Amino acid sequence: MSDTRTREPVLSVRSLTVGPTEPGSAAILSDLSFDLHSHEILGIFAETGGGKSVLSRALANWLPPTLEFRGGDIRFKGKSTLDGTGHSMLRPGREIAYIGSRPQSSLDPTIPVGPQLVEKLRAVRPEISAADARKKILKLLAEVRIPSPEERFNEYPTKYSGGMMQRAMIVDALSTDPAMIIADNVTQPLDVTIALQIVRLLQQLARQHGLSVLFLSSSLSTLNQLADRVVVLQNGRVAEIGETQALINAPATPYTRTIIYQIPRIWRSTAAPAVSTRSADQPIMSVRDVKRTYYVRRPGHLNSYNSVQAVRSVTFDVMPRDNIGIVGESGCGKSTLTRLLTALEKPEQGEILFNNRPFNQMPQKELTAARRGFQLLLQDPYNSLPPRMTVGRMIEEGMRIHGIGKGAGMRARVEQAMTDVGLPTAIYNHLPNSLSTGDRQRISVARALVLEPQLLILDETVSALDQSEQNKLLALFSRLQAEKNLTYIFISHDLAMVRRVCSRIAVMYLGELVEIADNRNLFYSARHPYTKALLSAVPTVEDNPYDSAKLLLEGEPPSPINIAPGCSFASRCPFVMRVCREKAPALTAVTPGSAVACHLYDPNEVPQPPPADLRPENAELQ
Amino acid sequence: MTISPAADPSVVLKAPALRERSVGYRILAEAMRNTGFRVGLGILLLIVLASAIYPEVTSLSATKISVREKFLPPILFGEKWSFLHPLGTDQLGRDMLLRCLIGLRYSFFIGVTTVVLMFCVGCALGLVAGYKGGWWDTIIMRITDAQLSVPMIILAISILGVSTPSVLTIIIVLGLSGWPLYARVARGLAITERSREYVRGLRVLGAADLRIMLLFIAPNILPGIAFVAVLDVARMMIFEAILGFLGLGVQPPTPSFGTIISDARKYLINAWWIATMPGLFLTLVLVSINLMGSALEKARNRIYGGAS
Repeated sequence: MSDTRTREPVLSVRSLTVGPTEPGSAAILSDLSFDLHSHEILGIFAETGGGKSVLSRALANWLPPTLEFRGGDIRFKGKSTLDGTGHSMLRPGREIAYIGSRPQSSLDPTIPVGPQLVEKLRAVRPEISAADARKKILKLLAEVRIPSPEERFNEYPTKYSGGMMQRAMIVDALSTDPAMIIADNVTQPLDVTIALQIVRLLQQLARQHGLSVLFLSSSLSTLNQLADRVVVLQNGRVAEIGETQALINAPATPYTRTIIYQIPRIWRSTAAPAVSTRSADQPIMSVRDVKRTYYVRRPGHLNSYNSVQAVRSVTFDVMPRDNIGIVGESGCGKSTLTRLLTALEKPEQGEILFNNRPFNQMPQKELTAARRGFQLLLQDPYNSLPPRMTVGRMIEEGMRIHGIGKGAGMRARVEQAMTDVGLPTAIYNHLPNSLSTGDRQRISVARALVLEPQLLILDETVSALDQSEQNKLLALFSRLQAEKNLTYIFISHDLAMVRRVCSRIAVMYLGELVEIADNRNLFYSARHPYTKALLSAVPTVEDNPYDSAKLLLEGEPPSPINIAPGCSFASRCPFVMRVCREKAPALTAVTPGSAVACHLYDPNEVPQPPPADLRPENAELQ
Repeated sequence: MTISPAADPSVVLKAPALRERSVGYRILAEAMRNTGFRVGLGILLLIVLASAIYPEVTSLSATKISVREKFLPPILFGEKWSFLHPLGTDQLGRDMLLRCLIGLRYSFFIGVTTVVLMFCVGCALGLVAGYKGGWWDTIIMRITDAQLSVPMIILAISILGVSTPSVLTIIIVLGLSGWPLYARVARGLAITERSREYVRGLRVLGAADLRIMLLFIAPNILPGIAFVAVLDVARMMIFEAILGFLGLGVQPPTPSFGTIISDARKYLINAWWIATMPGLFLTLVLVSINLMGSALEKARNRIYGGAS
């Protein structure tokens, strides 16, 4: 793209300073300067609260009334957009389009998606007739690969998935033929494979329409996937600007170095948490072919139900000290599986054994007693602790329920648990109001620990924490494991985290386990095409051994209502064969300790297993 | 760690623990700063104390007929007024102040008891329906709907017309007609609370449903309803007066607001004070209760809005 550099940039920001209107207050952005050329994707990195939103709003002339331009200049297509009085003359929406990170709140739920896009287009460009606008929106919907756009045009936003809504927002941005798009953290709420689809789409559209894209993100690894150049912001100032690859490989400032250092690596070293199970060990928990279906009333029908197959046939054993990770994208049945594992719900079929005793045969009393042995740590530490209760009382609760300890003995145990997780015992009588997210999460851990469990189930427990706090908690978990002989089940969507702590990993898709393997095998020689796609889509700052161009999935996971026969992944699989659409593959062991449910590895189906030689039957890959 | 253990933990411990724990106290303190609340509380205390003490210490009788003293006007009105009967006398020469204060006793007692009863029954059923869901919910809520569909007056006529109206039956009638509202509100709040994550956490800890409902959900939702229930005391006092007016309230010769007003209607032209005095008392009490209720509600919103 060096040829474009010589021409005048589309957008050029010179020593831009923005701050609150209050005189004397510190500026939020100070002395920012950068250029955005045509056809270029410029990534802007800043940590949460680092001035990203203010920058995007300043550029789109959308500053809230409490903020003002203090100095500098924004030149768009060579013309200054600021009039000397601290206001911008740019009309938002027409030349510069904006895509936010929360498409759900940008779409009006009471109007079908198509008509509201048409309406927005005509509000900015009144000269386009309604019929032409409709045609244009339909064309763009097809271009962003929304399946059957004619039908989707008249559907309400609630029928759209998160990824499709984001695509609709891209259509909204493109419809006015802007010269430049500001994309503010657009992939943040999406699953990795969907996020990568959106990233690739933006890249392709930028190329086709000659767009310049300003992509703001709080993740350098996401920017690594798409940006040509990256601007690193630190406290509202430019810390560094450079070509993405060069910047990541050789960061010039200490700040950038710290940021890059903190990003968890997946493939940097081949070391992995080892399986430390002895052969004589009995499984703590075994899950045997469990199924769970929910019946929801079909809209508009009185007595007809849709069956949502949330979990279909999941089987695995949890061995002592063998941390198992269960990964998958939203809607794959992780949450339902969590409820089954914690005996909050009963499986329809199959059984779950805890210490060789099946849950469904335990009388209520025994089940309550057995609950001491396995505990759940939840994701959101703000909602998962009972409100208006002191820290000590919360941790005590479990002991009160199970009638363990009394008076001073109870208090001593609580304080011991608080010390174990690194909470000061001085906060025993405090309300958790002033505690940080990480410390709240420690309360949950302490609350589980006083019961002396064997098994801890972590349902996205650390995903709400920032990177450094996450590191501390993971260190705490491994220390507790060594001290107290604990076993963990990590249920997560975060592959990098699972890579660090789990010795075995199970991948779920549409309610089924598609692959289960030990850590090294899964990350270095993944077998199932879905696992590979998932790994290829992980944003990283290192070389990904899985090529997303070959492996990336089209479309979205099918609905768990009325699942078609055959392999559930067949509709998206790049290596699909005829047999996949007819017969569902069973989870079969390939090597000791690793099993995969895929016909590619079935010796009866394919004489030669290497999938690279197989002709993809699906439509062309991205 | 964001929290560093303080050098002397006892000093740090006491202050925040005390301040943070008594949320109820903070709400009351906040309400006390409101002038409306103080005025309402003053009036209410004065009237309630008067009705508790005056009938016990006076030598007058609320029921004894004294023909010579009939239709005496209140103090400073007309010619024959006397300090002995500051609010005048009725058509049978009975002291109005005494009769009003005794009427207020019944009215207030019935109002408060009814609200407590409605609150307990309604919230308990609503809590169970909302938390348990399923069949519990269906059955309890259908009973609630059935109860809501019967108008209060028809219920009162049928129950009080068949049995002799007494304080107990009046409370039962008013309570029966009022609890469904509380059940509905409590159910709605319990449903939201049930789906919160901490309930899931408690269930995994092994807590039984009853424990979760009574120890965790109830303390979270009931105070809010209780503050609104204060306003209902005033409503129930009006209903008591309506029942009395229809002849279905506390029976004569015991004075009650409703019966006094309905008896005095005939003398409205030449002895206006007989019907007016009970109305005046009722107004004063209702205004004071409403002032306090709304001040409490505002204070509660402010405390929880700021730091909960």
